[in-house]
Amino acid sequence: MTRLNRRTLLKSAGSAAAASTLLASPLIAQSRSLKIGSYGGYFENSFKEYIYPAFAEATGITVQSVTQPNSNDWLVTMQQATSAGKVPADLSLYGRQTMIKASRIGGLLKPLDLSAMPATANMGADYLFADKTGTIGVGAMAWFTAMVINPDEVTAPDSWADFWDSANFEASLGLSKNYNAGMLDFIAATFFDGEATFANRDGIVAMIEKASELKPNVALWWSAESQMEQAMKNGDVIGGQYYLDVANLMKADGFPIQPIFPKEGNLQDYGSWCLSALSEKSGEAAEFINFSSDPATQALMSRKIGTAPLVPQSKTDLTDEEFSAVSGAPVIFPAYEAYLDNETFIKESWDKMLAGA
Amino acid sequence: MSDVTQASVVPRRQQSAAAGPAVPARDHGRILRQLLWGVILVLCVAPFMLVFVISLGHKIEGASWELGFSFENYRRVFVGANWPEEITYLYLQKLYYSLYYALIAAVLAVVTAFPFTYLLTGLSRRAQAAWLVFLLSSLSLSEVFIVMGWDVLLSNRSGLPMVFKETGLTQWLKDVGWFGQLREWGLANPRNIKFKTSVLATVLTMAYLVWPYAVILLYPPLSRLDRTLTEAARTMGAGPWTVMRSVVLPSLRLPIFGSVLLLFVFLLGVYVAVTVFAEPAKQTMAVSVYEAVRGNTLNAPFGAAQAVVLLITAALFLVAGQWLSRRGS
Repeated sequence: MTRLNRRTLLKSAGSAAAASTLLASPLIAQSRSLKIGSYGGYFENSFKEYIYPAFAEATGITVQSVTQPNSNDWLVTMQQATSAGKVPADLSLYGRQTMIKASRIGGLLKPLDLSAMPATANMGADYLFADKTGTIGVGAMAWFTAMVINPDEVTAPDSWADFWDSANFEASLGLSKNYNAGMLDFIAATFFDGEATFANRDGIVAMIEKASELKPNVALWWSAESQMEQAMKNGDVIGGQYYLDVANLMKADGFPIQPIFPKEGNLQDYGSWCLSALSEKSGEAAEFINFSSDPATQALMSRKIGTAPLVPQSKTDLTDEEFSAVSGAPVIFPAYEAYLDNETFIKESWDKMLAGA
Repeated sequence: MSDVTQASVVPRRQQSAAAGPAVPARDHGRILRQLLWGVILVLCVAPFMLVFVISLGHKIEGASWELGFSFENYRRVFVGANWPEEITYLYLQKLYYSLYYALIAAVLAVVTAFPFTYLLTGLSRRAQAAWLVFLLSSLSLSEVFIVMGWDVLLSNRSGLPMVFKETGLTQWLKDVGWFGQLREWGLANPRNIKFKTSVLATVLTMAYLVWPYAVILLYPPLSRLDRTLTEAARTMGAGPWTVMRSVVLPSLRLPIFGSVLLLFVFLLGVYVAVTVFAEPAKQTMAVSVYEAVRGNTLNAPFGAAQAVVLLITAALFLVAGQWLSRRGS
């Protein structure tokens, strides 16, 4: 008789779980499974709760959810896993910049067959990313980095320029510490010529100088999303930049936060589904991407996860109210290529500005 | 009988090779020693060599990095990436803050742990054991957990600033005009006192983090301290402060110095406390290493170069400490 210790308990619990899925799912679906990565926490939970079951119902393919910390860390993980010969996920979510980076590194992503995913035609061509090997990423969902304020403490600014006003915001803002998190794009749109300002080093230096004028008003340069969340809830900051979806969720929970679309706009970035070069599940992956590109699924994600759809509102059944909770205008797109081509220069100049060195 | 036992101890391969006489005990010792060296080599030297090799690598803009042989990453640590057009001491500043926080926090921890431990060794055996067990168990709290606790403690709506506001202390500070001074020091915004981000919060949390270690390091020498010496001094008319200054502290100079040094080196690598409580202008090299390796730029070679510089700095301090303590003894 074996003694019941933690390990055997876990093992038997595992086999019990395996047995129950075996009983529950039809035999034909057994070989049809797919490992999909998404950002952990609330985001991944919503996928597990709403999107994957709907997909399994539509296609019989079961999804094993894999937690990604974010795009960057995940790229390091996938890079190491690819050279080790075994990857943790078939499909993962890549931010556009990380996807371009993965493409430039090469050998990490497998080209996708768009003819097997007709629903991708609903999406703007901008969201289908191709390099010389073929299409390697299809848009999954978009998210906004928006201006937020605490409506109990300040009136809504109508321009990003208002953040420079120390009378209202001295030591009170929460901005991202990352050089490519959007502040430079806001500055380009507010005070300069938009993306064109990124074209040369003088433009970049001028924008970073403008950013340095903000320093006395910043109480928190956040590096993790949760820091900003806590700071807004606690009143450590009364405004700043934050994700539109999370801001709306917090607002719905009764916290004093109000996302705002200033006249220059907010930053829209998007995530793409990319297939690992080592994956043998091209067929299943194509079915999932097709499912994800369907306007009905895009609307489901907007409702349940708070992301912005990548298909026009008219193709979905989202009401104006639902749409404005996840999207807005005007839209500022990040200067993707510039951030990559000059990454060492921009990062070091930005860090110098932060450090006052 | 003895042949049988020997045969079962000696591995089969050696049996056939040596066929007969057992391996002498001295050889066992040598094998064990070699094995130990092997383990040290694999666990300590190999990872360090790997980091060093990576630090010579080359960053490809907009992509990842490749192995190489250049010292450009080290040059960047000292003068920045745009040298010679432009020179920056950004990373040396980060190194400075690494040393600054670690030193202040280590001294603070030892200075506060010393009287505590001194009093502790005067307690009954039972009480001492209880305290030590309590302190040891507090070591199981991870850095993340401790930082989270302090984060709540120092937050505007849940911690000390709330106490300041609710008790009217904030208003009082405003009335007497000291509030403006606090704002200048970065310890207040127009509405209330704020402790995040500040050097104060960073150093306090770091000292708290290593405080149990300080007690555990100081406990053995303090409990071995010959109490007859202090008693003799007292009977000869010395007050408690004089005894502390002229008897206890001099005889414990080396353990105190050693504890500070050890905690200092340990604190050089603190990450979570610094990211949460220090503003970017005052963040450390450990944070910069992490950002380079796993952040947006995926620049592992530059992260590795910074790590090597940090390691060499720590080693220099240890060597200098060794030298000082040898001179002192």
